[in-house]
Amino acid sequence: MLLELKNVFKWVQQGGQHVFLLKDISLQVEEGEFISVMGPSGSGKSTLLNVIGMLDDFDEGSYTFLDDPVHLLKAKHRANLYKQYIGFVFQAYHLIDELTVYENLEMPLLYKKHSGSERRAMVADMLDRFNIVGKKDLFPTQLSGGQQQLVGVARALISQPKLILADEPTGNLNSRQGEEIMELFRELNDEGVTIIQVTHSEKNAAYGRRIINLLDGRMIGEGR
Amino acid sequence: MYKNFIKIAWRNLMKNKGYSAINIGGLALGMAVTLVIGLWMEDELTYNDYFGHRDRIALMYQSQTFNGETGTGPAIPRPLEMALREGYADNFKYMAMSSWNNAQYLNYEEKSLSRTGNFMQRQAPEILDLHIIKGERDGLREMNSIMLSESTAHALFGEEEAIGRVIEVNSEHDMMVSAVYEDIPANNSFHDLQFILPWDHYVANSEWIRDAEDQWSNNSFQLFVQIADNTTMEQVTQAIKDVKKDLNEDTVEFNPQLFLFPMKDWYLRGNFENGVQVGGRIKYVWLFGIIGVFVLLLACINFMNLSTARSEKRAKEVGIRKSIGSQRNQLIYQFLSESFLVVALAYGLAIVIVLLSLDHFNELARKEVAFPWSHLRFWGASLLFILSTALLAGSYPALYLSSFRPVDVLKGTFKGGKYSGTPRKVLVVVQFAVSVAFIIGTVVVMQQINYAKNRPVGYDKEGLIQLPTMSQDFEGKFDLMRSEFIASGAAIEMATSSSPTTQIWSNRAGYDWDGKPEGFQEDFAWTYVSTEYAKTLNLKIVAGRDFSKDFASDSNAVLINQTAVKYMGITDPIGLLLKDEDEENPDEPLKIIGVVEDMIAQSPYEPVKQGMYVFDKYGNGSFYNLRLNPEQSASQNLAVIERVFKEHFPDIPFQYDFVDEQYGEKFASEERIGNLSAIFTAFAIFISCLGLFGLTSFVAEQRTKEIGVRKVLGASVFNVWNMLSGDFLKLVVISCFIAVPIAYYVMNGWLQDYPYRVVLSWWNFALAILGALLITILTVSFQAIKAANANPVKSLRTE
Repeated sequence: MLLELKNVFKWVQQGGQHVFLLKDISLQVEEGEFISVMGPSGSGKSTLLNVIGMLDDFDEGSYTFLDDPVHLLKAKHRANLYKQYIGFVFQAYHLIDELTVYENLEMPLLYKKHSGSERRAMVADMLDRFNIVGKKDLFPTQLSGGQQQLVGVARALISQPKLILADEPTGNLNSRQGEEIMELFRELNDEGVTIIQVTHSEKNAAYGRRIINLLDGRMIGEGR
Repeated sequence: MYKNFIKIAWRNLMKNKGYSAINIGGLALGMAVTLVIGLWMEDELTYNDYFGHRDRIALMYQSQTFNGETGTGPAIPRPLEMALREGYADNFKYMAMSSWNNAQYLNYEEKSLSRTGNFMQRQAPEILDLHIIKGERDGLREMNSIMLSESTAHALFGEEEAIGRVIEVNSEHDMMVSAVYEDIPANNSFHDLQFILPWDHYVANSEWIRDAEDQWSNNSFQLFVQIADNTTMEQVTQAIKDVKKDLNEDTVEFNPQLFLFPMKDWYLRGNFENGVQVGGRIKYVWLFGIIGVFVLLLACINFMNLSTARSEKRAKEVGIRKSIGSQRNQLIYQFLSESFLVVALAYGLAIVIVLLSLDHFNELARKEVAFPWSHLRFWGASLLFILSTALLAGSYPALYLSSFRPVDVLKGTFKGGKYSGTPRKVLVVVQFAVSVAFIIGTVVVMQQINYAKNRPVGYDKEGLIQLPTMSQDFEGKFDLMRSEFIASGAAIEMATSSSPTTQIWSNRAGYDWDGKPEGFQEDFAWTYVSTEYAKTLNLKIVAGRDFSKDFASDSNAVLINQTAVKYMGITDPIGLLLKDEDEENPDEPLKIIGVVEDMIAQSPYEPVKQGMYVFDKYGNGSFYNLRLNPEQSASQNLAVIERVFKEHFPDIPFQYDFVDEQYGEKFASEERIGNLSAIFTAFAIFISCLGLFGLTSFVAEQRTKEIGVRKVLGASVFNVWNMLSGDFLKLVVISCFIAVPIAYYVMNGWLQDYPYRVVLSWWNFALAILGALLITILTVSFQAIKAANANPVKSLRTE
């Protein structure tokens, strides 16, 4: 098992009352799964993803990631954990505008203390694999949205994570570009990478092998 | 990793050229100010470092108490030397009696120079550790020898060999050059020691000095010593402090206390108040040090505020980096290395600014500070300076920026919190509080100078010159020269005096008069003058009469000033006799014939001292005082006077001083402080405004949409301007409330040093506050009006 959430609650205080963002979420994810999280705006999809990605805390419940009790870990250990096993893909790509494609890809490796030659090899590998060798010296703003998201996925993959978390990865793309990214996800999944994506589109959700529906912070159903 | 950091920092700088310019430029200015002040402080603090034995060199000082007032100074009597040599020789490695530093004429063939130097005893070159270039270290052994500084020797002989040549001193004495020593550099106590003549020569050629050999109350000499290797200054002082008291009964009532004044204190801690050492210039060294730190702080605040204000732009990057696996301390390192880059760039720029302005600064501060290119210590200190500035400026932004949570900032809705601007506001208040305090300080210093300058001096100092006449060539020539000068039409009156108009060279006691209180220990400023003195100076006679050639008895007449009348406790001074208390060989009594208005001869910040202007029957005059002909220009008059002078004294260089300039010198030190603080204040304000300008443009940018909405809803340009400027004006008002009490306290303390001082009035402070507000409005308005004038359609579309 890759990760398990048990009875997770998350709330914020508003006017003396708890407003629940996540309500009693229990979820098991096995390695190699491809999960789509669906639900209307404000249903807690992104919050769930952030909790899984350890970017956000929760108030009650437990979370186990590869046998480590995440809710008990210190910030530094948690960072080490997700640095090693989790890659993020964002709707707005979130590439660093001041760095070139090459440097953006290299950045996660810097935080993992790979040697210079290792980094060069890994970045070259990635550029090659995504067919963006010719773009390596361009800055993000010089690329189309689809190309930027391609770089975003490449960056998420470069540190060879077990799990990719994608928050509406095609939300800013046209349908053709979106399809390309989804195809890419399917390929990755076939290679054994676990993927959890948040999406609005039924069509994209269908790429997942399991669909989780959220409403007002509560899981209201699972389908396959 | 650091390469990546620096790369990002560099690209950020290049992308936001405006911000970068403000950031780096402001920081560079601040650092330049701090650097200049640092160089100046270094120069001050290393004063006298030239002397190898500086830790063991001292000047003999003496404190004496008259009427409960203790005066302290380096003047000691001659018999003390023998007493010390006989009874206390163990305490000293070397001793050297010395005259004061005086100008003498040095003539060689056609050349005639006026140079300053001392008569000193034989061990002086050892004490001063003179660097002998040619000749012998023991160059004062022969009575007719002279030691010359390198530049003096060069001026006299050019490239020719100096040793063994004979020069004429004051057209009287032939002296043979025995040694040439390296010039003593500017920031040292003996920098004007351009020659040394043997002490024995000094004694042999003056009767009054010979007479002084057994006069314990004739404090007219200096004694330099180097203490023995096995003792300390304190121990020696302990041993010798009562020597004069023990050996001489006559002066016991003044309780003379001797002590060694160490060389390290001469320059920076030379002030004594009622017998107690109270510091001195060191006060200004620290004052400017504090100013330097504050100016740097202001620049650092700009950096902090602009970095945190722009945090929204960097927030996304922080979020991405964190979600990719960066830890907080890695981000802190990143932002610190960014600030290091900015500070390093600013420092480079600061060095350029310093190089460009160092000459002007030297002129202003009367310094010869050089840029220490080759000093390893300087570059070490520079690195430390850059690192500490980077830490000071960068730590707050680094901590703040690295604290963002990726979940918050990556949503794209990050706007800082409600209070995220508060630290920024606090920093702006600090900046302006410092600036306003600087403004007030400068205004007060300027006012005090003006106040003292406008004080009536008691005589007419314009169109008055003085010529030094200390050489024997002038003996008996006064009447001739006076009539020649007047006949030439360049001068309308002339008088001699024993001290310059703007100084008092001699003080006297030892007189009795009717009605003198029992046990009164009098002390008068004592000036010998010729008959025409009051007339030449336009000194007003307020009672009695002036000297007159018509009264033969005037050879024993004296004029006293108004303060002296009060001081002596008499109501009707005219005709009063001053009787010499010397029982063995009394001078004839002096008769007071008139009272003159008080004239300022010493510090313009202090009350005028009780003074006597004694008829100069001995020909003691050291100066000709000439009242120039007001009908002609000064340069015309001077040309004529020089011609007449040269006709009579062809061998003597023509030297003169304008009395009003000499008087102006008294303000030099305060004016220097005033000018420097004005300049530093200007920089402080400029730097603060630079930061404010950056902040306003940031706020205007941040509120573009709000301004657009307001304008659509009917807000006028004025409303928007008011809204944007008002926030900042409030901050400046708060800083005024902080600055005023602090500035009042500090400046009031500074003024206590001046008995004659301006009264601090509310308008000083009002002026400073008004100035600060005006500057703020101007700075803020530019951006505010630009924002207010923007077309709302455009700004609302940017979403």
